[in-house]
Amino acid sequence: MGHIDDIESLADEEVMHLVQDGNPRAFELLYERHGGAGFSLAYRMVGDRVVAEDISQEAFLSIWRSRHRYQPDRGSVRTWVLGIVHHRAIDALRRNLVHDRRRSSAEGIEERHEAPERERTDVVAARREDAQHVRSALGDLPDEQCRVIELAYFGGFSHSQIAEMLEMPIGTVKGRMRLGLEKLRTHLKEKVA
Amino acid sequence: MSVERHQIHEEDVGAYLLRALSDVEQRRFEAHLENCVVCQDEVSRLRPAVNALPRSVHPIAPPLSLKAKLMAEVERDVRERQEAAGVSRRPGAFAGVRRRLGGAFGSLRPTMAWVSASVVLLVGAASGAAGLYALTEATNEETPRSVVAQVDKTRVPFGSGSLVVPDGDQEGAVLQVHGMPELEGDSVYQLWVRRDGEVIPQSLFHVGENGAGAAAVIEKLQDVDVVMVTRESAGGAKAPSEKPVLSVKL
Ligand SMILES: [Zn+2]
Repeated sequence: MGHIDDIESLADEEVMHLVQDGNPRAFELLYERHGGAGFSLAYRMVGDRVVAEDISQEAFLSIWRSRHRYQPDRGSVRTWVLGIVHHRAIDALRRNLVHDRRRSSAEGIEERHEAPERERTDVVAARREDAQHVRSALGDLPDEQCRVIELAYFGGFSHSQIAEMLEMPIGTVKGRMRLGLEKLRTHLKEKVA
Repeated sequence: MSVERHQIHEEDVGAYLLRALSDVEQRRFEAHLENCVVCQDEVSRLRPAVNALPRSVHPIAPPLSLKAKLMAEVERDVRERQEAAGVSRRPGAFAGVRRRLGGAFGSLRPTMAWVSASVVLLVGAASGAAGLYALTEATNEETPRSVVAQVDKTRVPFGSGSLVVPDGDQEGAVLQVHGMPELEGDSVYQLWVRRDGEVIPQSLFHVGENGAGAAAVIEKLQDVDVVMVTRESAGGAKAPSEKPVLSVKL
């Protein structure tokens, strides 16, 4: 189908232009490219497929409705999309006080299969490699730094909750977060270089 | 910037980026951030590390129902906006977009520009059936009515189809087909409705390897006497180029 091939060859930023014009087909393509990553992130955070589906749906609808807020100079479309999913998931975790502690360690227990994203194979391969880089950079962090970062980012816990869980002063938690991010940034740069 | 205030906040940068501050702390930090260049630099320096975190997640395939539910909402939104603007069918509505994209839409004919913009395309075997279920479920909780299609057995010997019409509603009808041959090359199936003798183009669709597929009727069904399917070349046509291979009389 000619026009679908055409739209599929567009870069994310151009697809986003069409989405901003209210084009549902472009939005569908945006979902096909990033819906898998969004769902995977939500699932990683809440550890439940149904909740993850709700969060992803809310997030993508909010992306559709606030599509004019995307600013290309502030980062990639994927980062923007994942940021919105992350916000929604954190909100869900904090609203729902169940806050099951298994969640932050759930990674790896559940089924793992590649999400078939509608994307060129070289893009998919590059992403897989990038994921490896980030995982290995995270793995290189001292355990105590990696732990506070994961509890905050993926677990949705506040610094004071983490301080309580790990029985350490809030100042220490904040310091480790900052130091951890600092190291992660350096490691990522090294891996790329 | 007050140095004293900066000292209170400088340790918060990591927690802020990870969204680990309390609401009150976050607001205070953001207020400080507006006027503190040092913290602004810290935030932009460390943000890439936070942005990398979701990229470490192992990918998991989302349920097919997610896309169907999402697109049903988006389509409804588009329809409501078009109705509010008094637009039912406007060829060339996306001319501005085409111009901006500098020919990326060169092959798109005006009528099809409209069709492609308002189509729910549920393609393929698995997504056809699962997507259809979710779509009708999302748009109507009552039992949908189903009208069986007549099929030209000489051209599509194993084909069958039915139009699912949400109960008590003139909108959101979906045609579901089975046993249809996969088309060669760039050819597509195209859906049409006939109203007062005028044949109006609807969605384009493909079928999966098992011959199953689904396509949405964009028009309201009011005064429509037949919904039909033809085989067309890439991008669809403005008028049917053959007798329908499948038709549903209403
Ligand atoms: Zn400061």
